[in-house]
Amino acid sequence: MSRVVVIGSGLAGLVAANRLADGGAEVLLLSKGIGGLQLGQGTVDVLGYAPQRVTNPIKAVAEVAASHPYAAIGAQGVLTALGYLKELAPDLLVGDPEANYHLPTAVGALRPTCLAQPSMLAGNLKAGSSVVVVGLRRLKDFQPELIAGNLARTELPDGGRVSARAINVDAVAREGEIDSSGLTFAKAFDDPGYRQRFAELLAPKLSDGEIVALPAVIGLMDRQAHADLSAKLGHPVFEIPLPPPSVAGLRLNQALNARAQAAGVRMVSGVRTVGFTADGDRVLSVRNATVPAEREYRADAFVLATGGFEAGALAMDSYGAVTETLFGLPLVGTENTPLIHGDYWGAEQPIFSVGVAVDAQMRVLDKGRPVYANLRAVGDLIAGSTRWAEKSGDGVAAASAVLAADSILKEL
Amino acid sequence: MATEGLEFAGHSLSRASLDACVKCTICETQCPVAAVTPLFSGPKYVGPQAERFRNGASVDHSLDYCSSCGTCTLVCPQGVQIAELNSQARAVMKADHMPLRDRLIGQTVLMGKVMTPVAPIAKAALNNKPIRKVMEAVVKVHADAPMPPPQSQTFEGWFRKRPTPAGPFPRGPVVFFHGCAGGYFEVETSKKSVEVLEHLGYQVIVPKQGCCGLAQQSNGLFKGATKDVLKLCDDLRSAGKDLTIVSSSGSCTGMLKHEAHEIMGVDDERLKDVGTRIVDMMEFLLDLHEAGELPTDFAPIGMKVPYHAPCQLKSQGIGKPALEVLRLIPDLEVVDSGAVCCGIAGTYGLKKEKYEVAQAVGKPLFDMVKETSSELALCDTETCRWQIEKSSGVKTEHPIFLIHRAYGLS
Repeated sequence: MSRVVVIGSGLAGLVAANRLADGGAEVLLLSKGIGGLQLGQGTVDVLGYAPQRVTNPIKAVAEVAASHPYAAIGAQGVLTALGYLKELAPDLLVGDPEANYHLPTAVGALRPTCLAQPSMLAGNLKAGSSVVVVGLRRLKDFQPELIAGNLARTELPDGGRVSARAINVDAVAREGEIDSSGLTFAKAFDDPGYRQRFAELLAPKLSDGEIVALPAVIGLMDRQAHADLSAKLGHPVFEIPLPPPSVAGLRLNQALNARAQAAGVRMVSGVRTVGFTADGDRVLSVRNATVPAEREYRADAFVLATGGFEAGALAMDSYGAVTETLFGLPLVGTENTPLIHGDYWGAEQPIFSVGVAVDAQMRVLDKGRPVYANLRAVGDLIAGSTRWAEKSGDGVAAASAVLAADSILKEL
Repeated sequence: MATEGLEFAGHSLSRASLDACVKCTICETQCPVAAVTPLFSGPKYVGPQAERFRNGASVDHSLDYCSSCGTCTLVCPQGVQIAELNSQARAVMKADHMPLRDRLIGQTVLMGKVMTPVAPIAKAALNNKPIRKVMEAVVKVHADAPMPPPQSQTFEGWFRKRPTPAGPFPRGPVVFFHGCAGGYFEVETSKKSVEVLEHLGYQVIVPKQGCCGLAQQSNGLFKGATKDVLKLCDDLRSAGKDLTIVSSSGSCTGMLKHEAHEIMGVDDERLKDVGTRIVDMMEFLLDLHEAGELPTDFAPIGMKVPYHAPCQLKSQGIGKPALEVLRLIPDLEVVDSGAVCCGIAGTYGLKKEKYEVAQAVGKPLFDMVKETSSELALCDTETCRWQIEKSSGVKTEHPIFLIHRAYGLS
């Protein structure tokens, strides 16, 4: 059996590791921490703005500029990846690649996304709906007045408006605590008895026909928690993802990790990968900064899923020079100086488009030729898009990971 | 000039990493203690956040509820040494009022020396409810907390009295490190480790060896711990230069590899030398396997067994080598507990005021163990085994037990 080392355990790394293991490779997943997936919304964005609001993400993917990561990936690549993600987390991700949901955020804006958790779907609002946003007094990261106010003044993507009001309830997540985290609430909501008591507390405050918006804390482990609470209340309920600690993100991270473990992926975490050896156009091994002595991991192929600037995979020094910190790979987009301009509310900052160029197999290119035949880059490291603004990071990550894995499996 | 001990803890090293904290909360979500009690405000609050305000004084006394399991450091994506920061800050906080109990339970060698000659009596005493209640009242060690199992023969006694193995030893010499627990209480683990190494063709050298000081370190007694760990380095180095040191005591290995340096600031060539040469027993076997040098003529073991990777093994950044090695045994189904921590964290779960918290931390693991097997559970470190066995009722051994059996040695 051939070994593949995947470095990084965010969405890209986890998808690549799962896909490779499913294809019969022996996979070693190296990661500094436990990945950033749990910091996100627990949804899968494909393309939200291009730059206008996107309603059909697959159609928009097919129309991106040649410098965009989706140009190398292709619409078919994205479709395959979305199908695979639904297989990896069947009870957690649903959606139509040809129609974005528009789901309320924790500030009451409507965010376009492609795959979402079943517990969020009632938030894909129709004109004329009445929404009641329910705050929990002991959870500080969810302000129902702000959310309801913004929702009520927002025009829906296909026109029309909703009405929205805010209420608060004082539910105790854990005795002895007046400021509980979303995670503590989620664990409380895993208990059917807690859900019953919560429903009894909330139900008298609801009006007929209202859709109930709650912070995304309705259970961490119990996948039935949302449907059960909705039934107990007799109202449609939707969850709004919170800033970290994001329970919705935790669910997705746990699901993809559990799936990888079940598929036989071996994991070594807690240590940064800091070095490598190569022979000609092949990477032979990578080295982890284990203390006090480094450890070396050899493999037949390598997938670099280390992320972008936030994860330390890209770094800029005080002279403005940008480097890829593990392999020193050639970067594109660095010519667009200044990389950071001073108009912070103005045009896109060129720095966000800096990254590596890849071919259709996600091999890293230098002037059009692969740098190493057995090294693929996936996810945020790929140049050419401002993911957070156009909401394309998840789609690029998952699709590049699937393409990289499939091309490695063909070669092994 | 390098500073050591409390001075180092108050001012140095790990503080440099706190600015890398981006407040992402990943450590908060993974902390096993904050998950079960509001008494601990979480690793980020008492760590990188409170540290900014400490300036010598302690600002958040819930810090005492940190178990030092190290999970926060392990999961941090930014390289903040959260657990180390918190261990240091706690040592500084406790320095002027160190409880007698915390001084006593750091004395692991003393416990072994006292109990071994009177093993049956010691065993009876530790299982005697009235005696344990008195112990709880006087020493503040919880009456239901797991205790080390006294043995009538030390490992050293066995090693010296047994017939000299005939060899041959084509793979040459290795040094074996057993730790205090492996010397006095977990004697079988040490014996089986030596027998597996000899079966593989290694000549096993066991130098006379003392304590690594971990229990003192985790209780904030840095001076004694530093003295002990350096003495141990001298002991292990006396067995020969450049030899691999194999250890079946996962926690002590972590102390030698990184904790003595990172938490107490011990900056000594002897520690670096030993830390670089020491490998965990299962890590050693996995390395052999990766190099194609591990015989895999294992006899089938038709069993389903839960395995728990202890915190202090995980924090060495070597993954879970026992899982990989055990999977080479035909018919053996090893189920990873997936649990964060068993709760004991060395001596934390013994303490009267921490016992309930520690039991709540370990509950998902105990439940998982009971659901998976009534016969046997596996775990690499001693106090974790005692905790799992006591709280789940399932016999818990070091993974080497099944390797030993699969090689036909037992």
